[in-house]
Amino acid sequence: MIKSIKEVIAEKDLLFILAKRDITVRYKQTVLGILWAVIRPVATMFVFIFAFKQIPALSSTNKYPFQLILFSGILVWNYFANSFQAVSNSLLVNSNLISKVYFPRLIIAFSSIAVSLLDLLIGLVVYLILCIYFQYPITFNILYFPLVIIVISFFSIGLGLILGSFSIKYRDILQIIPIVVQYGFFVSPVVFTIDSLLNKSWFIYYLILNPIVGLIEISRYVLLEGYKSINLLQFLITLTSAFLCFIIGITIFNKRENSFVDHL
Amino acid sequence: MKIVEVESVGKTYKLSNNDSPSYKNGLKSFFNSESKQVFNALTDVSFSINKGDKLGIIGNNGAGKSTLLKILSRITQPTKGNIYVRGKVASLLEVGTGFHPELSGRENIFLNGAILGMTKNEIKSQFDEIVDFAGPQIAQFLDTPVKRYSSGMYVRLGFAISAHLNPEILIVDEVLAVGDADFQKKSLGKMKEVAAQEKTILFVSHNLTAVQNLCNKTLHLENGKVKHFGETGAILNSYMAENQSRKLNHEFENFNDAPGNEIIRLKKAEIFPQLDPNIDYWTTQNSFTITFDFWSLLKSANLNISLHVFASTGECIFNIGSEIKVFESGIIATKIDIPGNFLNDGNYYISVMVVQDGSKVLYNFENLFEFEIADYRENTSWFGKWPGYVRPNFPINIVQLTKSN
Repeated sequence: MIKSIKEVIAEKDLLFILAKRDITVRYKQTVLGILWAVIRPVATMFVFIFAFKQIPALSSTNKYPFQLILFSGILVWNYFANSFQAVSNSLLVNSNLISKVYFPRLIIAFSSIAVSLLDLLIGLVVYLILCIYFQYPITFNILYFPLVIIVISFFSIGLGLILGSFSIKYRDILQIIPIVVQYGFFVSPVVFTIDSLLNKSWFIYYLILNPIVGLIEISRYVLLEGYKSINLLQFLITLTSAFLCFIIGITIFNKRENSFVDHL
Repeated sequence: MKIVEVESVGKTYKLSNNDSPSYKNGLKSFFNSESKQVFNALTDVSFSINKGDKLGIIGNNGAGKSTLLKILSRITQPTKGNIYVRGKVASLLEVGTGFHPELSGRENIFLNGAILGMTKNEIKSQFDEIVDFAGPQIAQFLDTPVKRYSSGMYVRLGFAISAHLNPEILIVDEVLAVGDADFQKKSLGKMKEVAAQEKTILFVSHNLTAVQNLCNKTLHLENGKVKHFGETGAILNSYMAENQSRKLNHEFENFNDAPGNEIIRLKKAEIFPQLDPNIDYWTTQNSFTITFDFWSLLKSANLNISLHVFASTGECIFNIGSEIKVFESGIIATKIDIPGNFLNDGNYYISVMVVQDGSKVLYNFENLFEFEIADYRENTSWFGKWPGYVRPNFPINIVQLTKSN
């Protein structure tokens, strides 16, 4: 596993140029260009602001600006969901490369998160503007956010590699991925917080099975001043679970890598 | 030292009726993996080449050439056997691999270069040479998305990038068969330049002239197996001799079985090239003789024969007729000598007519012969198709008329 990571690093020029390709191509021939990276999360936020105004019960828990809770959740979730989908589709999207040239295949998977990463950074700027607008303090905790992003990336790459590796032979997986994302949105605290769940006996399993729960909560902890989140032990559980997923992903990928081209 | 070694390599593909299994046979095959049909793309292929060797790989379609190249360039793994490749490999299985249509020519140079294994600095330092090699049209549209390029420009840019790779081992698949004649000339020239260096090249091609001139060794694959491997001259000789398409002789013992009509029947027809002692196949330099014997039942008739030579496109290249003479019924024999260095390389067929009184066609023996003439060139650096249907070697007198200092 270390060996395959080293191979990727050795070919970092290729990694960056593939990432640059995806980013350059993303907003080609659009009028609004990179602004779409702003519009999409904001639009999602407005849907839920509107929905929750109609259902007051859901928005009653907040000590913090409701919009910031929503936006931070959407930001992190979008990054996870988009990068996970990009990684799982990357092999098929780049099948023309895989069948014609050899290079470490992991590079394709790694480089495919670039677009989502850029979207996340732009979304973060929007988030900071929202903070200023609501006159909510921004603390130095935000400096930990990059670390959280790295952990999220490990998780989304891991999960993407697992599903992506199987999707080459079993295209059924491609049908499952959007369902996973759709369900995930509602079983993760994207548009709600976990306050009311903390005391439930099954909460620990919830954290283990769905590392994104802890990752969203930790993100809010570093982004929102005074946000009450999961404790250190719960965070370590989340972390372990995310890394485990990454390791399993790479292992499965390495095992199946050689047969990819025969099924394309 | 052996730079590439291939030891009893086999590649098997599992054939199922549909590649992505449905749940019915999917589950079945999931539980018993035995009952699948297999296809052997390669069987027990072994050979090795030394540093600096240029290996040509030839064979018919489906012989396993592309599979072998894919295995050598690590794109796919062999099912059996081992491969040892010692050195930095660049494989060109197509021109412009990974070009993105939305990106400009400039961006695609960096993208394609990186995909083919060049570092960013290597590309930067060779950027101007690449653009220069690709031609002035590319230089003009360097910042236009390649989706607006003509297919010719696309290919030129792709080849220009690959031409500036600097690997120890170069694996090339037929990329030379693209582009206009001018560009082919340029790219084959570049290949020859690379071949002159201490590089190892593995080269799959249908262009036997190119293989003959570029490669010192040749591997002939047939149905996934090694048919012959060795020095290029000997391998090409046997390959051409086996594969030259021919329908060269007919002979009929009695009138009733022979083709023709009630008065004219074919007795014997033969076309016979005078081959070189060292080359077992028919090349442009060989002369050939056509004999044509037929039965005629006409008494005291004014007969002649007329011979049409057609190119494979159906165009008649020339037509010659014999003198008209009076023949009695019986067997009439004709013989025509056609010199070497006359017909160009290509596929030809010949029809022979028997004519009465100079105008009445008694019978036309269509497609009597089919034959192929192979290219022959010595000391050339141009391997593209020699144009034209004929290739006479009329002497051209060329002298220097004045000298200016």
